[in-house]
Amino acid sequence: MRRTNTNAYHESLTNALTQAQAHRSSRRTALRTSLVATGAAAITLTGSSVFGFRSAMAQTFAGPVDVLNYALTLEHLEATFYRMFNDEFSAMDIESAGFGSNVRGRLESIEAHEAEHVDVLVSVIGSLGGTPVTEAMYNFGVTDVDSYIATAQVLENLGVGAYTGAAQFLIESDDLLTAALTIHGVEARHASYLNVLNDDSPFPEAFETALSPEEVLAAAGPLIVSGMPDTGAGPGASTDGPGMGTYAALGALGLGAAALAARTRESRMRDQAVAIKA
Amino acid sequence: MLALHTLFMNAIAEERDANVSRRTLLGNGSKLAVGGAIAIAAAGSPALARLVAAQEFTDDIDILNYALTLEHLEYAFYRDGLEGFSADLFDDGVFDNLMDIRDHEGAHVDALVSTISDLGGTPVEEAEYDFGYQNAAGFLAVAAALENTGVSAYDGAGAAIENVDLLNAAGSIVAVEARHASYLNLINGEDPFPAAFETPLSRDEILAIAGPFIVQ
Repeated sequence: MRRTNTNAYHESLTNALTQAQAHRSSRRTALRTSLVATGAAAITLTGSSVFGFRSAMAQTFAGPVDVLNYALTLEHLEATFYRMFNDEFSAMDIESAGFGSNVRGRLESIEAHEAEHVDVLVSVIGSLGGTPVTEAMYNFGVTDVDSYIATAQVLENLGVGAYTGAAQFLIESDDLLTAALTIHGVEARHASYLNVLNDDSPFPEAFETALSPEEVLAAAGPLIVSGMPDTGAGPGASTDGPGMGTYAALGALGLGAAALAARTRESRMRDQAVAIKA
Repeated sequence: MLALHTLFMNAIAEERDANVSRRTLLGNGSKLAVGGAIAIAAAGSPALARLVAAQEFTDDIDILNYALTLEHLEYAFYRDGLEGFSADLFDDGVFDNLMDIRDHEGAHVDALVSTISDLGGTPVEEAEYDFGYQNAAGFLAVAAALENTGVSAYDGAGAAIENVDLLNAAGSIVAVEARHASYLNLINGEDPFPAAFETPLSRDEILAIAGPFIVQ
């Protein structure tokens, strides 16, 4: 069923790609113009205190292919991550670490989703005449089930922030934007669930925090040990970025302990199917 | 259902410029069944978003009022519903999370109201609703339906937004709606993430789902 959905999805995307391709250069100019124009409008329109955005990204992308390759960089990382550690840790390992019996299946679902995101992005980038970035070599620093689940949480929340921050760069293409949004929501679902597994609030804020490409690559860069793709989006492996490490990224994502004070949390033992007391 | 749907549309229509051709487009009812809100997350095609996104809204204010209509509905649902339940009806932590969701929806309402006003528009007001649940379990089931519908609504409307800042705002809201949806699916015993991609829905489809909750 998933494969069918992906194919239909891909078809719906590629149908419009010829048109998108034809307008690439004009869109590129329009996108830049619009970003310049709206930088000043951000405060008057939405009020930074209301939505809390960084109204202007320090760096932008050369075009939709770069935006999609930026997304693909993260999806490769996530897909590889789950593939590696779902392979390494058995269902019994996960239950032995104290997680509910549903957790293994959920992690396999997430793995499948990330792989589908990779497939779709690769296809779309290719259809646009671009070159999809390839999978790199990663070092996630995972040593046991606990660090697997904790790192998964970081990656998913990072992904949500990345899509939240990058969607604006696809505003000139309805289809690509919609595609990105449909991935964005699923990353948010994953993040919510992994927060629960890690005894954090599934939804720590009323508004998602948008992350800039620099912030995202600074957080993800240290995990990439070779083959870091150049998405044109920024400084790559964190040499001159803000320098967040994997776990430090948690704080930047609003998942710090302070933000979660006084909250009664779900037990990780549950992934409960029943929320009403008998 | 048609009458409710019409009521719902009128509430929005008062706040926007007349657009005869678009109204004709929206006159066709959706075939989606009420109560199918959870199921739709696993079916359908993003392609339908493209069919309507471009001509469905008159402008960004129209889109914001569409979002506000749904956020009003969600906020009222939690605000009024949670007053009727005590925390100990639910598993540990669940009630706290439901209160968080309520507060989020309230914050979304506030943000949309002030943004629409700042843009010179007139925010739609809260309506009267009947969510039809009988107990806490029913409340949670409706909550999941509303949240999943909300994600599809934002995803279907996102491409029609013309202003970058408003798109960013919508993006930061929809992610939180998706977090809510995931959690509510989970505590309803459903798959928190039933598909690799969200299903964008058109305004027509969303109103067919949400309309019956609105009594006035």
